[in-house]
Amino acid sequence: MPANDFKIPDDGGAATSGPASPVTDMSRPELQARAGLYALLARCLESEMDANLLHLFRGPLKETVDELGLDLGEDVMNARAEDVLENLAEEFTALFVAPGGVLPYRSVFETGRLFQTQADQAEAAYKAAGFAFRNVYSGEFSDHVAVMLAFVGRLFERQLAFDEADNASAASACAVQRETFLREQLGPWVIGWSRRARGCALHPFYRTILELTEQVVWEDVSACSDQATLKRLALSNRRRLMRQTADPDFRKASGL
Amino acid sequence: MGIQEKLSTSRRGFLKLGAAATAVGSAIASSRLVAMEQELGGADYSPVTGEKRKAVPYTCMACNIEDGGVAMIENGRIVKLEGNLKHPNTRGKLCAKGNSGFLHVYDPDRIMTPLKRVGKRGEGKWKRISYDEATSLLAEKLRAVIERAKAEENHEILNEIVMKWGRNRTGGAVKRFMHALGSNSMVNHTNICESSKKVGLEPSWGPDIESCDWANTKYILNFGSNILEAAYFMNPNAQRLVDGVVGNRAKIVTFDPRLSNSAGYSHEWHAPYPGTDAAIVLAMANVIMNEGLYDADFVRDWTNVTAEQLIAHLKPFTPEFAEKESGVSADDIRRIAREFATTKPATTFSYRGPVKHLWGAYQEAAIHMLNVITGNVEKKGGYCLPRGMGWPQPEPVPPAGPALSAIAKPPLYPLASHAVSTNAPYMVMRGEAKVSVWMSYYDNPLYTYPSSHVWRAFLGDESLVPFFTSFSCYMSETTEMADLIIPDVTYLERHDPESMPSGLYPCLSIRQPVIQPLGGTQEFRKTLIDVIHKVDPDGSLGIRKYFAFDSVEDWMKQHFDNIPGLKEEGGYERLKKDGVWPVYGKVDKETAKLVDDNGNEVKAEYGLYTTEIPDEEMVGTEISEEGTITRDGKPIGVRINGKNYVGFGTPSRKIELFKEEWRTFGFNPLPTYKRLPSRDKKPDELVLTTYKVNVHTQSRTASLKYLAEMYHKNPAWMNPQRAARLGIKDGDLVRITSPLGYIVTRAHLTEGIHPEVVAISTACGHSAYGRLATLKQRDPAARWAQGNDPDIANNVWWDDRGVHPNPIIRLSVDPIGGSQGWYDTVVKVTPAQAGDKYGDTDVSIEQAMKDYDEMLRYAYTGDLHRAAHKEVDIDWNNLPEPKLTGH
Repeated sequence: MPANDFKIPDDGGAATSGPASPVTDMSRPELQARAGLYALLARCLESEMDANLLHLFRGPLKETVDELGLDLGEDVMNARAEDVLENLAEEFTALFVAPGGVLPYRSVFETGRLFQTQADQAEAAYKAAGFAFRNVYSGEFSDHVAVMLAFVGRLFERQLAFDEADNASAASACAVQRETFLREQLGPWVIGWSRRARGCALHPFYRTILELTEQVVWEDVSACSDQATLKRLALSNRRRLMRQTADPDFRKASGL
Repeated sequence: MGIQEKLSTSRRGFLKLGAAATAVGSAIASSRLVAMEQELGGADYSPVTGEKRKAVPYTCMACNIEDGGVAMIENGRIVKLEGNLKHPNTRGKLCAKGNSGFLHVYDPDRIMTPLKRVGKRGEGKWKRISYDEATSLLAEKLRAVIERAKAEENHEILNEIVMKWGRNRTGGAVKRFMHALGSNSMVNHTNICESSKKVGLEPSWGPDIESCDWANTKYILNFGSNILEAAYFMNPNAQRLVDGVVGNRAKIVTFDPRLSNSAGYSHEWHAPYPGTDAAIVLAMANVIMNEGLYDADFVRDWTNVTAEQLIAHLKPFTPEFAEKESGVSADDIRRIAREFATTKPATTFSYRGPVKHLWGAYQEAAIHMLNVITGNVEKKGGYCLPRGMGWPQPEPVPPAGPALSAIAKPPLYPLASHAVSTNAPYMVMRGEAKVSVWMSYYDNPLYTYPSSHVWRAFLGDESLVPFFTSFSCYMSETTEMADLIIPDVTYLERHDPESMPSGLYPCLSIRQPVIQPLGGTQEFRKTLIDVIHKVDPDGSLGIRKYFAFDSVEDWMKQHFDNIPGLKEEGGYERLKKDGVWPVYGKVDKETAKLVDDNGNEVKAEYGLYTTEIPDEEMVGTEISEEGTITRDGKPIGVRINGKNYVGFGTPSRKIELFKEEWRTFGFNPLPTYKRLPSRDKKPDELVLTTYKVNVHTQSRTASLKYLAEMYHKNPAWMNPQRAARLGIKDGDLVRITSPLGYIVTRAHLTEGIHPEVVAISTACGHSAYGRLATLKQRDPAARWAQGNDPDIANNVWWDDRGVHPNPIIRLSVDPIGGSQGWYDTVVKVTPAQAGDKYGDTDVSIEQAMKDYDEMLRYAYTGDLHRAAHKEVDIDWNNLPEPKLTGH
């Protein structure tokens, strides 16, 4: 994937760490909507679909989903709920949990190993904002994509609350925190990971959610990053397996 | 059309979806991102930052040798493994496998969450569940068996609960679990390992292995063991072997059909025909006895035979006979026999080479005898008894199950004290045993067993195995077939008591978590407690009391806190601190010897069997005419020349070269040689052998990147002259065909292999076990895109994962020791045929079942057994009836 797939802006920029004040300026409805959007994506990627979530897609969210033309899969909207939940649970496990899946951890995406310093960085960001990570199943870590998305959603929510309380400096600090996290912790990997996971997903529900994740995160990262940062992030997200070009038989058959 | 196009004004579209999502409120709130104040201030605060590096001792389990290690921890992560300098037998060194072990912990191919099958068995479709759900499900299945046994008043039903393991280093936990459930159906793996070695030794002198004093010896006869790379106690033995050869100028002579690195290190390498070691050894014994080079006093005082008996027994086994059988010259056999008998001290060592054959126990008994007749037993620099230490089991200890189990101890193999695990699937398929719940622990028979395809058919058949649970943290070929996976943790995250006789200094050691189980996984020991508590929640079944542990640590304390000596030094806490007990001294930086505070070498004890029984302990004993001292009918020592010694762990307390029990079942009671069927192969056939390599275990290490890079493919070793006759060149694609079917692999031509042998290593050719084992990351689809370890993304330069030979290896069980005859399969090697592709494997279940029937003909009730043992003086028409035996 060429780097310019991510629509790198032409204007230059410098710093990779967050500026003192937020780059983006959002209205209260937009903050509210972003909070909801990140919470939704987080929920879909955090654990298997359950009856409540299915109900939301079939009920309160249906009109919007239809209007936007999101393909969640015919079965998700119409098939027997028990069957849908079973199928999606299997798909979720194959994609995000079982060996051979596309594990949704920044550590794995960036190092090929579970629970590396990326998990510490995420934990530190949560802690600085007054949150902590708690696993529900074994094998879950703080650098899980869904936890990171949920964290961004909560920061949107908090910013809105401060804004509504006319506490501009606290709202601004929240925005800086969010944008820094987006640039430094979500931006380097979630776009590439979502794209790779989407390529492996068999069910349209996850393909759609992963595509949404990719686009939403990239849009928000783009909005708060300069060109140099975006180039760096684009390269970081392009991580993929290198095809072998050397002659595999260049050593003796025995490998000795 | 992508989402971006659908949401042409994406910002507006996102907002709309977001607004709608917001409206549903808490229904989509994350359950994992919680307010920090809920977690702060308690003992459970997550220590993921700011933690200083610390050193935590542990006991390795990359393989089965249990070396002492120290893990370096930084910020809660294992950053490095080193040897534990306080461990007296491994002296601060780990092998390549041990150094790489921490890669298991963070491997994204590791199973971190219990998985329940949702597709067809083996289809690879799973649903994640919690440990609580998983242990409840297993407990429900177990409870159903127990209740059925009660309802039908049939104890045998309890044996339908089966536990099969490969590596069981739990210090008795598995046995406690199974006995608590009332089942005796514990199926180990030992017959694919070295059980005929054990059975060759145990009735001879008690223990199941020797501990050679390599460092102080002057002469080593090595039969079929790759001491420097892969044999039992590889790391400590290799260290002391080098100490002996370099530091003590010892001579080493190796007999092995393949030029292993140990053979290459030897002063002499001889390549006998596979399975003819005993012919050579008996010929050496013949020379030693007939030339008067034996230790007459030791033979007279400490064995249950006379020199005259031995000389008569050895008469047919001349060097010329051995040359004819083995191909090793009679002159060499005579010379080496004389050297061995006259160079003091001396020792033999043997491992799988001689014993992994039909009648392998005879070969081991013969090798053992060489040390006995030369008086090298328990001498400094000689052939010593193993030194180990025990630990108590927490009370109450559950009694064995009420019914004896055929699958655990097949009745046709009464002498095979380490069982015959290879037969388990055949027995169930033939209706000789029944399974309701099959549990698998540290085990991968779909890869590691002969005719491994039989295990796939067996475990894949729900009518034979209705419920299959695997306690594994790796998605092995076997675990793929499970209905329920309850992941264990790696060996760096768990507790076990250990004592391995890996040297001359007996010690206890501990395996303890060097980090907490990663990501909330739980160790097997905890899973066992949970399952039992759910099987018997109120204690009404009488099972729960055997698992009344507050925690895993509580369980461990009960092992360690009451051991005399250790107790006074702090018990469990003491072991946690040093990892090993006692600490004999320190490793000298110059000599690598174990020294005390004054720099003097810590001396090992020798002559353990000559420890005298104190007079006060002789009170109430009886002494037989032969000198055996008994108390309450149990032998405790032997009187020789007026002194009361503890002796050896045999009924007579002497070394029993003559084994009456073997005769009872029609086997030769003295060490002998039997010509193998493979010795009579056709001229155009070869004997297929396998071997381990220095950087891999048989199955478990193929996923470790350091090791996978070093060794990942396993071409078939062939002698160039033989290959030329077959029209095969180095690197050619070849088809290797046994009666079971064929594999297609490549040939590696080397002079380092017997002309009648083709050898293929284990550890390669996995169809499961993660990215590196299978090279799945090279699949066109990105299904195995597990991230971007730069080593894996950029440095996997190989495309070849090897070809596994086990599917074409036939079942061949030693009727005495129960060992699988890994080196008995006769094959044809031909250039690959049109259409053959590297890795092709085509094998027959039907032929495997015929092999099972054929194999039973060698069991003590079989016609081929009788035909092969005409010399045995026994009433062949009144052999004991097959019967179930105890556990």
